[in-house]
Amino acid sequence: MPDFVAPTLDLHALAPEFVLAGVVCVLLLLDVVLLDRAKAIVGSIAGLGLLGSLVPILTLATSDHPTRTMFGGSYVVDSTSLLLKALFIVSAYVVVLLSTNYIGEGDYWESEYYTLLVSSVLGMTVMASARDLISIFVALELLSIPAYMLAAWSKRDGRSNEAGMKYYLMGVFASAILLYGMSLLYGWSGSTQLSEIGRAIGEKNSPAVTLGVVFVLVGFAFKVSAVPFHMWAPDTYEGAPTPVTAFLAVASKAAGFVALIQVIGQALVLRMNVMIPVVAVLAALSMTIGNLIALRQTNVIRMLAYSGIAQAGFMLAPFVASQYGGIDAIVIYLVLYAATNLGAFAVVMAIARRTRSAEISSFGGLFSYSPGLAVALSVFLASFVGIPPLGIWYGKLSVMRALIESQGRWATVLAIFVALNTAIAAYYYLNVAKTMWFDDAPEGESTPIKVPTSLRFAVGIALVATIALGVYPGPLTDAATPEATPAAAPSGR
Amino acid sequence: MSSASDFLREYLTVLILGGVGAALVGLLLGASHLLRPARRQPGKSLTYESGVDPVGTGWTQSQIRYYVFALLFVMFDVEAVFIFPWATRLEAYGGFGLVEMGIFVFILLLGLVYAWRKGVLKWV
Repeated sequence: MPDFVAPTLDLHALAPEFVLAGVVCVLLLLDVVLLDRAKAIVGSIAGLGLLGSLVPILTLATSDHPTRTMFGGSYVVDSTSLLLKALFIVSAYVVVLLSTNYIGEGDYWESEYYTLLVSSVLGMTVMASARDLISIFVALELLSIPAYMLAAWSKRDGRSNEAGMKYYLMGVFASAILLYGMSLLYGWSGSTQLSEIGRAIGEKNSPAVTLGVVFVLVGFAFKVSAVPFHMWAPDTYEGAPTPVTAFLAVASKAAGFVALIQVIGQALVLRMNVMIPVVAVLAALSMTIGNLIALRQTNVIRMLAYSGIAQAGFMLAPFVASQYGGIDAIVIYLVLYAATNLGAFAVVMAIARRTRSAEISSFGGLFSYSPGLAVALSVFLASFVGIPPLGIWYGKLSVMRALIESQGRWATVLAIFVALNTAIAAYYYLNVAKTMWFDDAPEGESTPIKVPTSLRFAVGIALVATIALGVYPGPLTDAATPEATPAAAPSGR
Repeated sequence: MSSASDFLREYLTVLILGGVGAALVGLLLGASHLLRPARRQPGKSLTYESGVDPVGTGWTQSQIRYYVFALLFVMFDVEAVFIFPWATRLEAYGGFGLVEMGIFVFILLLGLVYAWRKGVLKWV
């Protein structure tokens, strides 16, 4: 039996995860000690804890050695993973802001809510650094299991129970498929490390590898709700409490993409011939079907759910052009999509507080009595469409550039799909804007909607991020582009 | 067009696997349907309850508390699974292992304390 050598821990590189784990324990301890009295402070502590975990991310980003490798190459902290961790943490902070009033006013368990939210974020930050099948799987479960529970958080609402149940069953099914694929890849390559797998499957092909790749891709396609594995998403998004929906639609989906980025970028690049057709078909189907169904929705949350499926298609497409900056385009798109989508959810929640409904028709005449919210929502909708200089236009540009530069057959076809679907999507996004600006307000709606401070703050953060990153995307591009150092090379401990 | 035929050959594997999977299910179910004798008796269509005559219907409510206790049991079971191998090689893992195991046990204990404070351990 070989002697055990304790791995040296780079505490600085692991600090964000440690802070988050500490916050989870503190929240749980507070609940245990104070019981009901903890309700007043758990939300603030969760928010502060999330902000606290941003500090080590900033110090790491500005340190001299931005790329740190641990555990024999299984855990890598580089500029892209730091950007993604910051994305997860800031998204979760906005979700906490969305939750404070919603969860406080409803019939919900509060302490557990924040504990589970932060532990899910912990799983996401681990995912951003994982370069190993086992760490990826552990991170995936750590981020999914709390999310299953959060989706069913309105305990006495049948639709929320349905949301949690569907999400749970589909998620477990996806995990099983994923594990099957992973076991095939491991069995063929003899290593769980992505870089080793990439080397092994690049040298020799076998039917087992094809099966492994297809199963792994299908498993993650469930997580990112790509067509035809999307059927859980609209019901889950509609039934779950709205802040949880925002969390699932933004952070949880981004985590699925991050896992895909690691697996495809590190391991499957040499088997592009197997990967490209699957991803291209998934992307084209997601875009088209997501958009076509979104056209017919009358409920904004369901519309956002289907548009999220379509947007997932836009983000899947550049995988086809992985060697031509496609991966960077996905990271950029993820960040901009998160800002816009969180903002849209925040405004819809603020409006729904008054109207008690998220039907598009109930938004009529919003501009006449609540102009601020109407303008904010219009900005987010225009960003979804991709109108410069608002957020997602730059994401769309990066996606198109990667697709066109790669000049592959599949990439060219996908570029046409992206262009067509952007046009289709404009109709239903702008239809909501039209309702707000031109339709008549319902009877007796004249006083402006009162928006709680935390929601105001959430809308503000999303608005600033959407506009600032759209006008000046330079820093985002720099952070999303990996340095020349190959992260895949396993270095010593 | 060699790349297209390559691509088709790659995916033939997936199709074959799917076909074999479906055929296996059909074969097993079909074979057992053909081979088994079918003599219907009222006793055979009763709910199987380990040889005892069933009481009531199949849709009875069971105590949710059993479920919580089962969950707590799993928690300690998993703890034991990790602690035993560590304990057999305690010296080899040294201080590092001790700290790691301390953190692990602490987090599990937190779960137990949570269950205790929320009144799960009381059998009212």
